[in-house]
Amino acid sequence: MNMTLLAAASMGTGIMMLVAAVAALVVKKLISAIIIVGFVSLSASVLFLLMDAPDVAITEASIGAAISTVIFLWGRGKIGGQE
Amino acid sequence: MIRTIVGLVIVLALSAIVISSVSDYSVPSELIGAGLNYTEQGVDDTGSVNLVTAVVVAYRGLDTLGEVVVLFSASTAVVLILTLIPIGANPTPPSSIVAFTAGILPGAIVLFGIYVITHGHLSPGGGFPGGAVVASAFLLVMLGSNTIPGKTKFLTSIESLAGLTFGLLGFWGMLTLGQFLNNLVLPAGSPGRILSAGIIPLISLAIGAKVASELSGVFASYRKAGGEE
Repeated sequence: MNMTLLAAASMGTGIMMLVAAVAALVVKKLISAIIIVGFVSLSASVLFLLMDAPDVAITEASIGAAISTVIFLWGRGKIGGQE
Repeated sequence: MIRTIVGLVIVLALSAIVISSVSDYSVPSELIGAGLNYTEQGVDDTGSVNLVTAVVVAYRGLDTLGEVVVLFSASTAVVLILTLIPIGANPTPPSSIVAFTAGILPGAIVLFGIYVITHGHLSPGGGFPGGAVVASAFLLVMLGSNTIPGKTKFLTSIESLAGLTFGLLGFWGMLTLGQFLNNLVLPAGSPGRILSAGIIPLISLAIGAKVASELSGVFASYRKAGGEE
C-alpha cells in the first residue's frame, strides 16, 4: 500500500512536470514561461526526493528552482521585457 | 507555430530513439559490481555514513575536483563576458514583499547551507548543494535591494583559497599515503560523529566555500553590469 502511494505520487509529479514543460513552450508571455520552468525544476526536485535521492533534490531545488529562475528573470530584464 | 511543431516533432523523435535504445534494459534485482562494493564497504572504508558523499568525495574525489574546475572556468567566462560587455539594463526596484522577505530569510538560509555543508558525511547534502544554498541566500539579499554590490574582491580570495585547500588536501594524501586525495590521511573515526570520515568534512567545507563564493561573484558581476539605478 505504502509502495503504491509512493508510485502514485511520483507518477502525479511526473505528469505535472510534463504538462508544465509543454506549457512553458506554448505560453505567450516570457515571464510566465520562466516561472513555469522554475516550477518544472521544483517538481523535479520533489521527484528526486520521492525516489530517495535527497542529495540531488537539495541541489536541484537551490540551483534549478531558485538560482536559474532568477538568472532568467534578470536576463529578461536586460533584454527590455520584449515578449 | 511552425517552429513549435517542428520542435515538438524533433523532441518526440529524440524521445523515441532514447526509449527504443533503453527498452530492453531491466533493473537488476540486486546490487552488482561497484554499487555492491560501495554499500558493503563504504562505511568501513571512509567512515562516512552518507554513502553518496563517500562516493562523491572519497571514491570519486578526482571527478569532484574536475567538476570544481569546470564550475570555475564557467564562472570565469561569465564574469569576463559581463566585464567586457556591460549589457546595460536598470535593475528594477524590488516589490515590498520581496524586500521584506529578503530582510528576514537570508540568515536562516545561510545557516541551513552551513548545516548542509558541515553534515555532508552524516545527512543528505555536502559541499556542492550547501554552497548553492548559501549562494541563493546572497541572491535573495541582492534581489531585496536595488543598489549595486560594492567590493567583491574578497569573494575571489575565498574562492582561490578554497580551491587551493582542495588541491593541497589531495597532495597531502599523495605525500603521506602515496595516493592523491586519499581520504584516510585523517582517521576515519567512529561513523556518525561530526568529526569523522577522514578529510571528507574538510573537502566539503572547501567545496562549499568555493561554490558559494563563485556563484555569489557571478550574481554580483551580473548586477554590476546592470549599471546604476
